[in-house]
Amino acid sequence: MSEHIVKSYDEQLNILKNTIAKMGSLAEKQIKDATEAAIKQDQEFADKIVGKDDRIDDLEKSIEEQVVNLLTMRQPLAIDLRETVSAMKISSDLERIGDLSKNIAKRSRHLDKNIGHEINKNFSLVSEKVQKSVKIVLDAFLNRDTKLAEQVWNADQEIDRLVDICMNSILKCIEEKKDGAAAFSQLMFMSKNLERIGDHATNIAETVYFLVSGKYIEGDRPKGESGIVSGQ
Amino acid sequence: MSNKNKITAKQVSVFYGSKQALFDVDLNIAEKEVTALIGPSGCGKSTFIRCLNRMNDVIDICKVEGNIEIDGQDIYDNSVDVVQLREKVGMVFQKPNPFPKSIYENISYGPNIHGIAKDKTHMDEIVETSLKRAALWDEVKDRLDQPGTGLSGGQQQRLCIARAISINPEVILMDEPCSALDPIATAKIETLIDELKSLYTIAIVTHSMAQAARVSQHTGFFHLGKLIEFDSTEKIFKNPEDKMTQDYITGRFG
Repeated sequence: MSEHIVKSYDEQLNILKNTIAKMGSLAEKQIKDATEAAIKQDQEFADKIVGKDDRIDDLEKSIEEQVVNLLTMRQPLAIDLRETVSAMKISSDLERIGDLSKNIAKRSRHLDKNIGHEINKNFSLVSEKVQKSVKIVLDAFLNRDTKLAEQVWNADQEIDRLVDICMNSILKCIEEKKDGAAAFSQLMFMSKNLERIGDHATNIAETVYFLVSGKYIEGDRPKGESGIVSGQ
Repeated sequence: MSNKNKITAKQVSVFYGSKQALFDVDLNIAEKEVTALIGPSGCGKSTFIRCLNRMNDVIDICKVEGNIEIDGQDIYDNSVDVVQLREKVGMVFQKPNPFPKSIYENISYGPNIHGIAKDKTHMDEIVETSLKRAALWDEVKDRLDQPGTGLSGGQQQRLCIARAISINPEVILMDEPCSALDPIATAKIETLIDELKSLYTIAIVTHSMAQAARVSQHTGFFHLGKLIEFDSTEKIFKNPEDKMTQDYITGRFG
């Protein structure tokens, strides 16, 4: 994209883009760390993660301020308008991703030794998929790449499938074991959080697609088949 | 959904002497809608609008080629009476230009020379209706005998709009009608344009992107005498097809 006649306008849009990138990489790291804290049942680490969420919230506020300033001072149009409005939407999805990761960290304090290898493996697998989606969707945003955005949009179905497997393995343990239901329930919510993070990545994919092309992704979101996740 | 076309222009080229100002412009203006023409200075948008009521005829060296029809009638046909054409296609200019006459006479002048009013009562009616439609009546009804030039800039421009509609035109051309006005007067004119479009077909040339976005349903972008893109206003300002349009409206044009 060629530059604006007014140079400071370009600078403002660049700062906005960089703030999103920074917020995105923090959110991505929070998912990874929260998963690690859960698997290792590392309470100290979990506390640190909870504390870090404020930084993401601060960046969201900064983005909101920047967007309001741009709208007021520049009255952006066409690609600039889409960029400005998209920044606001993406930042709110990233903020939610941050919150959900924080919640995973919080809940990980209540896990115990009952959580077996298979569940951990399933949970890690979901987390890896979700992290990958968040990473790719941020690349799609930074590189203005609709193909990558579509890739993330289509990957959500697979995430839902893996969450279902994970939840079923947790259910099985609840049914089989006499104690530990509380910890297993926590893990159910944590899996659901990962699934929600996947949904936010999908939202961002839609926003990026609109930002770049000015059009909405066609068709309904690919949904997982019947299972615990979809409630069907 | 677009209304049916009131004006169709095909392959319109305009020359000022040997200099070509417009190149093969195809552009349709829908009935009872506002069509905005935008583009940098010298792009041909005013030249185009001035073709629609043959204002360019008054410039000796100006030559218009191509075909322009209003309601299917070729307006450059030899049989067309230019005075009658301008009765049908009124114009409002950048700078308010009331006649050095009373407010009443500013409005009654047109109907007088076109022989529209049956008698004094009818003329009073025309003056009142025109001023009301131009949203000026309440501000001037007690001083109709005072000079039009004594009004504020915004009022003068609304007086000129009232004057344009006094002869019951079908089309109103506006060439940057708000560029000499403050934001409040501009907002009043824009409200007025919005109301008038139920009665008239309006074409407006403007340098204000925001104004085009606010008042029009269709927008055409001109550059160096060519119509680069024409589409719904929403499309032009949200997601234009042409890179040049995008560069212009986002302030990237060098």
